[in-house]
Amino acid sequence: MTSRAPRSVRLLAAAVLAGVLSGAHVAAQAIQYERPVQVAPQQETIGGGYVTPDVQRPRPREYWLQVADVGLLAVAMALAVWFVIERRSRAWTLTLTAASLAYFGFYRQGCICPIGSIQNVAVALTDSTYSIPMVVTAVFFMPLVVALFVGRAFCGSVCPLGAMQELVVLKPIQVPRRLDNALGLLKYVYLALAIGLAIRPEIARDFVICRFDPFVGFFRREGFAHMMAIGAGFLVLGTVVGRPYCRYLCPYGGLLSWCSRLATRGVTITPAKELDCGLCAKACPYGAIDRMRAVRKECLYCARCYASCPCEATPGVAV
Amino acid sequence: MGSMHYRRLPNVRRDGPDSRFATALRGLAVDRRDRIYAVGDAEVKIFDRDGRLQRRWPTSRPGCSVAVDEYDRVYVGETGQLEIFDATGRLADVWRHASRLGRVTAIDFAGGDVLVGDANDRAIRRYDEHGSFMNDIGKNNRMQGFLIPNGVIEFAVDRAGVIQAANPGKHRIERYTLDDRLLGHIGRFDGVDPAGFPGCCNPTNLAVDVRGRIYVTEKADPRVKVYNDDGTLVAVVASEGFDPNCKNMDIAVDSRGRVYVTDPVRLDILAFETEGAAS
Amino acid sequence: MSDGITRRDALGRVVRGTVLLGLGSTAGFLINKAEGQVVWQVDTSRCVNSRLGEAGAEVCMLCTTQCVVAQSAVRAINSFRDCGRCYVCPAYYNIRSAVDERGLPSEKLCPRDAIRRTPIGFVDPEDPANNFYEYVIEEEKCDGCGLCVKACREPLGLGSIVLKVRHNLCVDCNRCAISIACPHDALFQHKVADALEPTLARQPQP
Repeated sequence: MTSRAPRSVRLLAAAVLAGVLSGAHVAAQAIQYERPVQVAPQQETIGGGYVTPDVQRPRPREYWLQVADVGLLAVAMALAVWFVIERRSRAWTLTLTAASLAYFGFYRQGCICPIGSIQNVAVALTDSTYSIPMVVTAVFFMPLVVALFVGRAFCGSVCPLGAMQELVVLKPIQVPRRLDNALGLLKYVYLALAIGLAIRPEIARDFVICRFDPFVGFFRREGFAHMMAIGAGFLVLGTVVGRPYCRYLCPYGGLLSWCSRLATRGVTITPAKELDCGLCAKACPYGAIDRMRAVRKECLYCARCYASCPCEATPGVAV
Repeated sequence: MGSMHYRRLPNVRRDGPDSRFATALRGLAVDRRDRIYAVGDAEVKIFDRDGRLQRRWPTSRPGCSVAVDEYDRVYVGETGQLEIFDATGRLADVWRHASRLGRVTAIDFAGGDVLVGDANDRAIRRYDEHGSFMNDIGKNNRMQGFLIPNGVIEFAVDRAGVIQAANPGKHRIERYTLDDRLLGHIGRFDGVDPAGFPGCCNPTNLAVDVRGRIYVTEKADPRVKVYNDDGTLVAVVASEGFDPNCKNMDIAVDSRGRVYVTDPVRLDILAFETEGAAS
Repeated sequence: MSDGITRRDALGRVVRGTVLLGLGSTAGFLINKAEGQVVWQVDTSRCVNSRLGEAGAEVCMLCTTQCVVAQSAVRAINSFRDCGRCYVCPAYYNIRSAVDERGLPSEKLCPRDAIRRTPIGFVDPEDPANNFYEYVIEEEKCDGCGLCVKACREPLGLGSIVLKVRHNLCVDCNRCAISIACPHDALFQHKVADALEPTLARQPQP
């Protein structure tokens, strides 16, 4: 007991000292040097024909170009739907995939990105001082609306992250249904985590989706080692497991998957023409054909099933 | 470096609210009787030689500089004007000169004339005792004045009537006659050797004592030094004790050789004297 | 059977309509709140390299190391309107290095040698101290390390050099990587028009 009083006194003294010091620190930060006189010499003083140069102020990408990007996104989705649902063409779909990867991926450097904008939208909805440009709003909502009617057309051949993985699928194995379903839940965990971290107070806010974006480093051809490593990992894994990021981790894929459950149209294995051969199910690298029926929430619009179908390949053979 | 060493004395007192400056402390001077005059806020404060507040009175605008003539009249330099008070604080005169008295950051006297530093136009103005303009000093050069990125113009007149003016942008102390003739300069840039002036623009402020020694203050980092008339460094008075963000610390020296320096950030007046001096 | 399908269709239609309405109204809310085009920019009053009253602090290089662009999109600019055009610029020279035979510091401060120094006005060939000097930052060389910014800050300099996001180099990340790392929350999104100003603070100074 005898030692307690001095200790508390010491603690108090330390607290007071800390307060004084931090106060002094704050005071020092609040210094505003007065500029009562023009201390910087101006061109009149300097003379000799000197003209003060303008400070270089490079402008950002023109606004109309950003709007044009939104337009291109819409066009790309429309084409994806048309190529898959109407034309049932794997070749055209593949062409569109490559084009999307080239433009949205390598040219625009992954920066018309609905995946990352989940976080911006979440913040804009919860923080009254934060707002997002209309372009971002459009990029975020358009693929969702499309998914409501025709499924995940965006994933198929528009999203550059998906396109990157689409092109490396070599020898896909069929992930056991249960494992596939279980892993599929990860993306909702990631979605919840990303939203939870994004809507924290401004100073603590963290955009984890962007921080661990697997492919943006490739698109920019520069980036942090950890991003490059994650991206390379997904690409290697992607040769045997079809689109691992899209199926198991992509939080936007989670949202699209929900919306696509309500879709009225989509990839269908037409019962009337069916051979029950199961070739389509084998061809699907994403496990989206369950018991000879396409599962909309899993279907990634790649049109491989049509390419594998004997009925499609030679019309009129069926029945 | 010389063998002189300085030690720090207690700050000029600021016990009681009246002796404290609240927002600004810009000018400092010492009179014949070693009383300390400080201007800041919008007030003149006079302390006796032991640092006790003796008298205070308001000025119409915040003071930037102060000087006391041989009749104990107090000249306070402000923005756009010069106020002259008698020893009791009664306003005796106000000088305004639209084109020549901008921000007055230094005042001194030479043989009945009043010399005023105008920071706006980066020049020293010479007026007679009645306030009639006589001539400019330090303006007749390629730069059209002193180079003062620090924002104050500072000078002092030594016993021989020579103006010792700080030209911080050139890292020099220039000597001028009253009729604007440049006699020469001392000082050079050096960021390592304390005999030189470091940074972009030093010295910022200066004072001259009866023996012709030149006392200067520097900013970033704050430092106080003494030079002989020939430009040799006598002593570093202080290189600590000030807020590191200080700039334009005004300086004054009394007849005993005590050095007073303002800390414009902490609003303190620091005092130093040579080791061995009777206090 | 056909009756059942119709009922399911009807239910699906209702649910879809509801979701669509929800998405639409959320989008409407966000659009209503939108401020047009925004870009990332440095708040110079928060940036620890330019913030006043930080004497003695180490230079912060997070803008260089954290930006997703290899040579950071944050670069130093010199606002010529505010530059003192000093003979010995503390942002150009390492003012703590030894003096050479010309009486100037022997080392430069910028590790990438990105600052150019030229005498301007009526140049005096006899006395180099008798001149004004222009300091131009070559943007291509700068990587935003902030050494010059910190050296130029008051009281040492006049604070004319600040770090700014160069919008032609910035890739407009959803969440700027530097803003995640910045301990002083100095990067923020701002409307394009104002974000081009050299001195920009989140709250306008009174």
